[in-house]
Amino acid sequence: MKKIIILLCIMLLSSCSKRNERTGLFVYNETDPFMQVFAGQIMAEADGKFPIQLYYAKNSQAIQNEQIEAELENNPSLLMINPVDRLGSYSIIRTMKEKNIPVIFFNREPLAEDLGLWDKVYYVGAKAAQSGQLQARLVMELFGSNSNNLNELDKNNDGKIQLIILKGEQGHQDAETRTSEVLKSFQENNFAIDLLAIEVANWNFNEAAVKTQKLLQKFQHEVELFISNNDDMALGAIQTMREAGFLSDTNNDGHVNKYDHLWIPVVGIDGLEEAQEAIASGFLYGTVKNDSKKMTEVMIELSLILLGKKDFSSLSVPLVEDKYLWIDYSPYIFEEKR
Amino acid sequence: MTLGIVSLALILTSVVFLGIFSKLLDDIIESQAREINKQIVMNYESYINSVIETATYIQTATIKYDTLTDTKSLDELYLANTEIKKDVVSIVLFNTDGKRVAGSYINPQNKESIKGLSWFTSALLIKEIYHFSTEQGKSIAENKEENVISISKSVSYTAGKNTLNGVLLIELNNETLTDLAKKTNLGEAGHLLILNDKGDLIYSSESGNALMTELSTPIARTMFLGSSKATINNINMYISVNTLIQTRWRIVTVSNINEIRNALTRVSGILLLIFLVAVAVSALVAGLISLRVSHPINQLKTAMLNIEQGDFSQPISVSGQIEIVTLTHSFNNMILKIQELMARLVSQQREKRKMELHILQNQINPHFLYNTLDSIVWLAEHERNKDVITTVVSLAHFFRISISKGESFIPIEDEIFHVENYLTIQNIRYVNKFTYTISIDERLNKIKVMKLILQPLVENAIYHGIGDEEGHINIRGIMEKDFIVFHVINTGYGLTNEKIEQMYETMRGGTERPSIGIRNVYQRLKLYYGEKADMTISSIPDESTTISLYIPYKEEIVR
Repeated sequence: MKKIIILLCIMLLSSCSKRNERTGLFVYNETDPFMQVFAGQIMAEADGKFPIQLYYAKNSQAIQNEQIEAELENNPSLLMINPVDRLGSYSIIRTMKEKNIPVIFFNREPLAEDLGLWDKVYYVGAKAAQSGQLQARLVMELFGSNSNNLNELDKNNDGKIQLIILKGEQGHQDAETRTSEVLKSFQENNFAIDLLAIEVANWNFNEAAVKTQKLLQKFQHEVELFISNNDDMALGAIQTMREAGFLSDTNNDGHVNKYDHLWIPVVGIDGLEEAQEAIASGFLYGTVKNDSKKMTEVMIELSLILLGKKDFSSLSVPLVEDKYLWIDYSPYIFEEKR
Repeated sequence: MTLGIVSLALILTSVVFLGIFSKLLDDIIESQAREINKQIVMNYESYINSVIETATYIQTATIKYDTLTDTKSLDELYLANTEIKKDVVSIVLFNTDGKRVAGSYINPQNKESIKGLSWFTSALLIKEIYHFSTEQGKSIAENKEENVISISKSVSYTAGKNTLNGVLLIELNNETLTDLAKKTNLGEAGHLLILNDKGDLIYSSESGNALMTELSTPIARTMFLGSSKATINNINMYISVNTLIQTRWRIVTVSNINEIRNALTRVSGILLLIFLVAVAVSALVAGLISLRVSHPINQLKTAMLNIEQGDFSQPISVSGQIEIVTLTHSFNNMILKIQELMARLVSQQREKRKMELHILQNQINPHFLYNTLDSIVWLAEHERNKDVITTVVSLAHFFRISISKGESFIPIEDEIFHVENYLTIQNIRYVNKFTYTISIDERLNKIKVMKLILQPLVENAIYHGIGDEEGHINIRGIMEKDFIVFHVINTGYGLTNEKIEQMYETMRGGTERPSIGIRNVYQRLKLYYGEKADMTISSIPDESTTISLYIPYKEEIVR
């Protein structure tokens, strides 16, 4: 009897303490390398600050919903959600409002209309538009920064950049934004481009590899630039290009020879570990880092505020419209040692 | 008692089992309902994904073809997609003014109003998502009368050198939704609802008058995620809500859990039955066990009580439990031993008693000898030679018979002769103060009786019967049925009843002095002749006293 009472007390106590700090972290898919690293950073940063439980949703909103329901059994105080379906956020926000559990969405932005349903909902992420703009800037610098006089990378010397865009999912917010923004930036800076193709490869390495093969057959040496909506597709394209003999170390300096006609610059977005390695060895020219470190930092700051351990003045990034914490993308290329 | 414990244990087990089972069943019902819901949602998701795929394909194609020059091929592509899929009612591309650019032809009456329709305005308002809506009702396309779901999205299309913004519309009928709903089994009266973000009912799988839908929709409207139980129209329902991908819609499954509940009730019934049978069986078993155990114990108890009250006669016979039977055997053996020991003790006591009495009977009262010798001396001094001779001869006879060569039993004539000698001596001594008569049935003469039984009675008679007046002592021996009876009657004052009682007590074991001789006789009688032998004392006041001996004739032989 005594034991049971003690057990009950412990359960009561522990359930109370859980209510205070427990946090659920929901990520749309484990097989997305960027998100996997990102989730790992969040877990590492939260460690010692508050208890956190990580769930991967296998790219199914139904599974994520199920996981959220399961986590609700544990009386969490905060949820961090990287939604599978941005529109699914509607039901999640309505549910959490009812239960009064604040939510931080990250890296996939719910509709403003839905975020507006409740004041304890936040979004931490980067502006997709910025990634496209930075990608364009990298390219413009690579081609000599002078729209009127492109450097030798304009191989056919026609004053235009012959480019292929590897697009994420057609109609996907980020894919559309990144694509349109990169194009818009060229236009705004008066860089003439010749868009050979926009190929939808659904964010996917393999799909990009297969589609690049067809593109190379079709355009051969016409192509002067590959722009990819993300690193994974860029790496897929690079694999195909290497198999086709492009991107080789013709001068044997341990680094892909940039000044060779077999070199076609590829730029990505995200800043994956593999992408950074590919940049170091010269296969990938550059990427725009989706700064998961900074995002993690800001998410932890916001979490501590929502858990009542800190106040809003501790945020290192301005809170926009009481909802948004925008994290800047940063361009990333190989720094040559001279 | 046993039954109580067994029942309690069974009740507890049943309750615990039922509790666990019920909880388990609830969990199973819950997880199954969730699983069904998830499956349904996934089916719908893959359907929506296929629709989105079509839309993406068309978007990609729309960018590729120049709407100014390739109008025909673009139209064909749109049409082909419309016709291939039975659920696609129409596919149309509009420019931002709501004018048709490609695809299905518009019903003329709708042509001017497109720009104001909700699917159109919302597509332009939020460009990055697909808009699902049912507000349109009937299709806007020519020659189509079906109710449709409108999927609209802002897209880019090529017109000559320019990339323009437009709106793509795909209209779907309910066919696939219905097909998918049919595939799911939500139990009787179970159904599937789709609600939009405003909580409006977009679709219900219930056919007919939609009574259940009417009742379940308000409940579903309050739920956004998760599940709950509800009783709808007296049916236990499990309502699960999930999101529908690419939309802000909710898909709600209302599954009938009554059927499973009924199973629980059945199981409870069976359990109750099992419980009752178990109680009955255990009652029976307990009864049998207690019969086997307690019945022999009770038998044994009764037997022991009997023995406690001194009845050793009946050997105990107990059947049943082997342990009890063994115990009974041991007990019986013990009783036999006790009986044996008691018998031995009794016979030993009797032997001892006989020995004592034997010694007593051989003892001649020394006073009698002194007195007699005194009287002989006195007779001799007075030269009454004849009396001296008589006395001495009588004394000699008296002693001879007293000794009788050590025999305990002598013929009655000897016993009488012994008394006559005694009387002769006493008569001389008391100077003829009494007279006596002896009358013995001649048949008795040769019968042997225990010796020296009459002399003490005669001594007593003389002692009591001799007073101032001349006394008379009458000794009679007769056969009376199975008894040899001796009466010793003396005249005198007689005895009071009190005195007689006193004498009886003395005979039976008291130690009152005066009648020690009589007591000896009585006790010897009892000892040698058994319970039937007796001695009685009676008296007629102021007249006579009679002491009678009754000796069972048939048992004259010493036991």
